[in-house]
Amino acid sequence: MSELLEVKDLSVSFDTPQGEAQAVRDVSFSLKSGEVLAVVGESGCGKSVLCKTVMKLLPPSAKIKSGSILVNGTDIIGYQERDMCKLRGKLFSMVFQDPMASLNPSIPVGKQVAEAVKIHQKGLSKKEIYKRAEELMRLTGIACPEEHMKWYPHQFSGGMRQRTVMAIALAGNPKIVFADEPTTALDVAVQAQILDMFKKLQKKLGMAVVFVTHDLGVAARIADRIAVMYAGKIVETGTAEEIFYDARHPYTLGLLRSLPMYAEPKGELYTIPGMPPSPLSLPKGDAFACRNEYALKIDYEEEPPMFCISDTHYAATWLLDKRAPKLPAPYR
Amino acid sequence: MVRYRLLDGVKKVFLFLFSIFLLSAAVFFISRLAPGDPLVSYYGERVERMGIQERVWAEEKLGLKDSVWVQYIRWLGNAIRGEFGISYKYKMDVIEVIKGRIGNTLLLGGVGFCLVFLLALLLGIFCAWHENRMPDRIVCTLGTITSCIPEFWLSLLFIFIFSTNLKWLPGSGAYAVGKADDWGSRMEHLILPLTVLVVSHIWYYAYMVRNRILEETGTDYVLLAKAKGLNKRQIMFHHCLRNAIPSYLSMAAASVPHVLGGTYIVETVFSYPGIGTLSYESARYKDYNLLMLLSILSGAFVILCNMAVQKGAERDGR
Amino acid sequence: MKDEILLDVQKLSHKFFPARKMEVKAVDEVSFQIRRGEIFGLVGESGSGKSTIAHCIMNIYQPSGGKIIFYTGNCQERRGFFNKKDMAVQEANSIDVCDPKEFRRHRRMLLAKRQIIFQDSSSSLNPRKKIREIIAEPMKIQHIAPVRGSLCAEAEYWLNQAGLDGSVLEQYPSELSGGQRQRVAIARALAMKPELLVADEPIASLDVSVQAQIMNLFLQLQKEHGFSFLFIAHDLLAVKFLCDRVGVLWRGKLVETAPSKELFENPCHPYTKTLAASIPVPHFRLRQEGDVW
Repeated sequence: MSELLEVKDLSVSFDTPQGEAQAVRDVSFSLKSGEVLAVVGESGCGKSVLCKTVMKLLPPSAKIKSGSILVNGTDIIGYQERDMCKLRGKLFSMVFQDPMASLNPSIPVGKQVAEAVKIHQKGLSKKEIYKRAEELMRLTGIACPEEHMKWYPHQFSGGMRQRTVMAIALAGNPKIVFADEPTTALDVAVQAQILDMFKKLQKKLGMAVVFVTHDLGVAARIADRIAVMYAGKIVETGTAEEIFYDARHPYTLGLLRSLPMYAEPKGELYTIPGMPPSPLSLPKGDAFACRNEYALKIDYEEEPPMFCISDTHYAATWLLDKRAPKLPAPYR
Repeated sequence: MVRYRLLDGVKKVFLFLFSIFLLSAAVFFISRLAPGDPLVSYYGERVERMGIQERVWAEEKLGLKDSVWVQYIRWLGNAIRGEFGISYKYKMDVIEVIKGRIGNTLLLGGVGFCLVFLLALLLGIFCAWHENRMPDRIVCTLGTITSCIPEFWLSLLFIFIFSTNLKWLPGSGAYAVGKADDWGSRMEHLILPLTVLVVSHIWYYAYMVRNRILEETGTDYVLLAKAKGLNKRQIMFHHCLRNAIPSYLSMAAASVPHVLGGTYIVETVFSYPGIGTLSYESARYKDYNLLMLLSILSGAFVILCNMAVQKGAERDGR
Repeated sequence: MKDEILLDVQKLSHKFFPARKMEVKAVDEVSFQIRRGEIFGLVGESGSGKSTIAHCIMNIYQPSGGKIIFYTGNCQERRGFFNKKDMAVQEANSIDVCDPKEFRRHRRMLLAKRQIIFQDSSSSLNPRKKIREIIAEPMKIQHIAPVRGSLCAEAEYWLNQAGLDGSVLEQYPSELSGGQRQRVAIARALAMKPELLVADEPIASLDVSVQAQIMNLFLQLQKEHGFSFLFIAHDLLAVKFLCDRVGVLWRGKLVETAPSKELFENPCHPYTKTLAASIPVPHFRLRQEGDVW
C-alpha cells in the first residue's frame, strides 16, 4: 500500500499575547489509504491543531514554522486558500467535536448536506442533488432521511447531528476523514453507535481516518494504529496491539495504568504526577521528564529521538537507548 | 391558541395606549414648567406692547389661566375626540400644520434610514471580508472619526463648504421657492442633509454588522463549511450573512428612534421644513398644542417600532 | 453507622415548562436513599435528569412533587446553628427539604451541611475573587469560627487537604488549570464540613490523567472525613471505581439501583445492559514481570 498522506517534521506555533505557543513540534507521521490512525493525547497536546494544519483550517494567529505535508507525493504546505478549497471535501474532510456548533442553526440539515454535494458534483440537477443527499444521510444511519431533511439542527439529537455532519463530510467521497473528538460530546450509548457506524463506513468506503481522541477506550475500539501525543510531540506510535500490549513510553504506560476500568474498585488509581507543561514555556530536554518517575539525567538535557522497536512501533524515550540502565518495567 | 393571540393583542394595545398617556402627561407638565411665554408665539411682537388687562384677556382666550391640571384634563378630553387644538404660531389646526410638513420628514428620514442601513450592511461586509487587513483598518479608523463628529457641526461644515463657498448645493429648505412639485429641486435639497445623516450614523451600524459577521466566522459550522470545500464567498453569503441578518434587521428596527433623532437635528440645522424643525420651534416658542401632538406622534412611532422588534424576537425563537 | 440513612428521596418529580402548554418531566417519581458515609453514583445520558435531581437536593430547584428528607443525626453538632428559642426545631431529626417552611427554618444548617461541586469549575468560581476569598466566604457567611486561628489559615488547611499548597491562596481562578480549579471547588465545599457532598459531573471536563488524580482525591477525602457523597457522572468506569451503590437514570426515571459490583456484573434493566455494553474497553496488558525497557 502506498502512503496517502505523509507529514514530515511539522511544527506549528501560535502567536499569543504571552508569547509564542508551540502547539505542534516536529511531528512526522504517515497514513496509508484505508487505515485508521488514532491520535491520542490530553487536551492542549496539539492533536486537533495537527489535523487542522493538514486541512489548513487554522486561525490567522497560527504559523506553520517548518515541515512538509505530502499528499500522494505532492507537497501542499505552500498551497493558498484557493488551492485548498479544491482539495477540501474531495481529498480530505473533517468531523468536529461539537455537532451542535458545527451545523448552521438556521439552515435545514438536508440543505446543508445538499450544499456539500453541490460543490463536489457539478452539473447535477437539484433533484439529483437532493437524492444524493438523502442517500448520504441514509448511509450514515439517519432513519427516513426524506422526512428528516427538512428539520433544523436544533430538532435533532446529538447522535443524529453527528451523523449529519458525517454525511456532509462524506459528500465529496474524501480519501481521508479527520475526526476531531467526534464522540466526546455524546452520551456513552450513542458514542458506541457512532463509533460502530464510523468503523462500518470506513470499511465500506475504504477511506483513511485520522481519529483524534483523548479516550484510550475509544481508540481501542476503532484504530488500526495509534499515535500518542504529549506537549506537541508524538511520543509513541505503533499498531493498536503494540500500544496496548507493549507500550514503551512511560507516558503511554501512565495513561494506560490510570484507566479506572481494571482498577480495584475503591482501590487507588495510578496517576501521572503533575500536569502537562504549558506550550508557552516548554522545559529543556524531554517535556515529560518532570512527570516521569523513570526519568534519566539525559531527559533533562536533550530531547529523545524516536527509537525503533519494530517496523511499525516507535517511541521517543531515552529509556530505549542502548546506554540506558535496564530498569524493570511496570507490570501488574 | 387563537384566544391566546387575541388576549396578547389586547394586552399590547392597552400597553401602547398607556405608554402614550404617560408620555402626553410628562410632556404636558414639563413643557408648562419650562420658562417662556406662549403668548409670544400667538401674538408675536405685539405682546410687548400689551397692557395687563389685555394679557389676562389673551391668556383666558387661549385657556392658559386655569391650573395645569385642569388644562391637562381639558386637553385630554379634546384629544380623545380627535381635537388637538390650534397651533399658536400658525393659527390653524395642528393636524393641518403637521400634514403640510410630514411628507418632507418622511422623505428625508425614510430615504436616510434605508441608505444608512443598506450602506452600513455593505460596509460591514466589506470590513469583515478584509478582516484586520489594510482596507478594514482604514475604514475602521475613518468610521470611528466620523461617528464622533456631532451632527450639527458636520451640517454646518457641509453648508459652509458646499453651499456658501463652492455654491454647488443649496444649504437650506426642502425645495427652491415655488418649485414644490419639482423633484429635481427636491433631490438637490436632499443631498446635503442626507449625506450628514448617513455619515454620522453609518459607522455605528456598519461596525455592528462587521462584528456580528466576525462572530459567525469564529464558529464551528464555518469550519465545517470550509472543510466541506466551500470557498470564502459562499461561506460569507450563504452562512455567515444568513445568520447575521435577522439580528441586524431587528436591530435596525430598534434603532429607528436613533436615526429619527438624527433627522430632527439635521432638519433644524438645514432649516428643512419637516417635523424636526417644527418640533424644535414648537418647543422653543411654547406652541403647546403643536408640541403635544408632535411628541405623541414621535413617541407612538418609537413605541410601535420597539413592539415590532419584540414581536420579531418572539417569532425568531431559534 | 454504615446503614444509617442520611438522605431519603421519595417519589421526587420535577417538571419543566419550556414553552406554553408544553410539559417536560425531567424527573419522574424517583426514589432512592443515601446512607451515611456512602458514595452513591447516579448515571444516565444527558437529559436524563441527573443534574435536576442534584439541584432539587440542593434546593436550587423547587421540585414539583415528592419529598427529600434529610436526616440530621447528632444534635450537639448542630446546636451552633440555632437560637436558644428554637428548642423544638433542634429536636427534629428529619427535615423535608422540599417543604419551604421547614427549609426556611433550617436554612442555615442545611446550607452548611450540604455542599455541591459543579462540572465547570471555570464558571462556578467567581473570576474576580482570589482563591482565599472563595474558600473563606462561606465560612464568613455562616459565622463559623475558624478552628485554625484565622480564615486564611483555614483556607490553606483545606487547600492542603485538596492537594494544593498555600501558594495559590492569592491567585485568581483563571490562573489555575482545570484540575486545580476543581480542587479549589472541593476545598471550598469541604471547608463547611458537609454531611452530604453532591458532585455534578465533577470530572467530565478534565483530562484523563487529571481525572484519575481527582478520583483518588475524592476517595481519600471521603475515607478521611466520612461524608456521604452523591457522585453524578456519565462515565460508567468512574462510577464503577468510586461508588458503593449506583442508580441508573433513564428518561427521568430511576430504572435500576444496585450495589456497584452487582450492577456491572449483571445488569437487569435493558438500558443498563446497553450502557454496560457500550463502555469502550481496551484490552491491554502491562508488561510482564522482569521485562526491561
